[in-house]
Amino acid sequence: MDGTLSDAPSLVTSAPLTGAPAIDAPSAGARPMLAMTGIVKSFGTNHVLRGVSLSVAAGEVVVVIGPSGSGKTTLLRCVNLLEDYQEGTVTVDGAPIGYRIDPRSGQRLRMSERDIAASRETIGIVFQSYNLFPHMTALQNIVAAPVRVKGVPLAKADARARELLSLVGLSDKAQEYPVRLSGGQQQRVAIARALAMDPKLMMFDEVTSALDPELVGEVLAAMQQLARDGMTMVVVTHEMSFARDVADRIVFMEGGVIVEEGKPDQMFFAPRTERVRQFLKRYNDRYRI
Amino acid sequence: MKTFAPLLHSYWYLFRGAEMTLLMAGASVLPATALGAVLALVHVFGRRTARSALQIYLFIVRGIPLLVLLTFVYYLLPLTGIDLPPFWGVVMVMSLYYAAFMSEVFRAGIESLPQAQWDAARSLGMTRHLMLRIVIFPQALRLAAPPFVSLCVSLVKATSLVSIVGLWELTMASREVVERTLAPFQIFIGAALIYFCICYTLALYGRYLERRSLVGH
Repeated sequence: MDGTLSDAPSLVTSAPLTGAPAIDAPSAGARPMLAMTGIVKSFGTNHVLRGVSLSVAAGEVVVVIGPSGSGKTTLLRCVNLLEDYQEGTVTVDGAPIGYRIDPRSGQRLRMSERDIAASRETIGIVFQSYNLFPHMTALQNIVAAPVRVKGVPLAKADARARELLSLVGLSDKAQEYPVRLSGGQQQRVAIARALAMDPKLMMFDEVTSALDPELVGEVLAAMQQLARDGMTMVVVTHEMSFARDVADRIVFMEGGVIVEEGKPDQMFFAPRTERVRQFLKRYNDRYRI
Repeated sequence: MKTFAPLLHSYWYLFRGAEMTLLMAGASVLPATALGAVLALVHVFGRRTARSALQIYLFIVRGIPLLVLLTFVYYLLPLTGIDLPPFWGVVMVMSLYYAAFMSEVFRAGIESLPQAQWDAARSLGMTRHLMLRIVIFPQALRLAAPPFVSLCVSLVKATSLVSIVGLWELTMASREVVERTLAPFQIFIGAALIYFCICYTLALYGRYLERRSLVGH
């Protein structure tokens, strides 16, 4: 069940890791692929994020859980500035995203839209509602950004897109429009579309929440494969089995702060806080683990 | 069939009037569309001052009948010393008038796209220019196509008003023929048929676009 063969096709182009993924050494001295510090975000008087810091090592899979309205989705959207935030910094692979701290005055300076767009190229995100472009075929959805944003030659982008489609099990759907695809298929195209940009980091925002229960498995399988291939992933989900089986680390959020984080076993069997125990109780009761 | 003799004798004259109608409508649609598109962009992306100015313009245009505007400009232009042939004066008024409605149609097309489409485009690193060009506009135009066509139909029919300022087109031609033949019913049935054929063709095209725009949604 573990690591893919070195010559097996991979969802990740450039293997970011040598050797095994950082399964047992998250953030322990490893270079952080994603570092968020002190993120504060509010809509008026509604404080959505109240100083969230999160560091994700290269190759690590972090699953963010928590009740609705706890700020999980907003946290993801702050990483690539789909949401603006009032305080804090984000770096991806050491490069600041969105804001730069002026070394002299210590002030936060917003980067130009062009720079922000450029840094988004390195961060893939998959949304709950798929958000494919309905006027493009599956293939066109995938090649659009590599060709138009990164300037990849069409033939090369096309070949890579077909490869990605076959890896998510949709080779025969290349020419279909999204409307002709099931939710699970659309979501797998969306994953392929994000991967086509060769991101350093992939974020998943409740990607199975809008799916019929029997389509959830195919999307989770694609994500699991991606995790095995060593992709750095931040996953917001309500799929507790996925969290338990695939996560290197689980982060529990509530009320705009991280309440507790730890390895899956610890979070499920020996949480430090009463709140996490309570939150996971229903799941643990049902599955008797 | 004898009763329709006046129409049979003059249908060619009416066709020439229809030609003028189409010419005028065609000459107005292009600038109206171009200006409407620009105004829609100002409405969606412009600064606040530009947007307020646009609002005022839209209120004025929507609040005044086209006939009144046509007459007003017809009398105003000579006073300002602008020497514009009546045809182009009419085209100008019609363009400015319909641009206001076109801009609303285009704006609605852009704004009816879900935020999620913008999010997806931005998250792939697209600059605003690129995402407008390959993600937003193609979809917005599809959505706007059916109402755009019905505006065109309305524009064609509105050209019948210009006979009031002395421009010769289908309605004016019909009235001339009526004056000679004293057969108003026959002649205006003929004119109505011609208008209907033009507008129905456009409407069918609009329906086709509507059906096509549903693909992919």
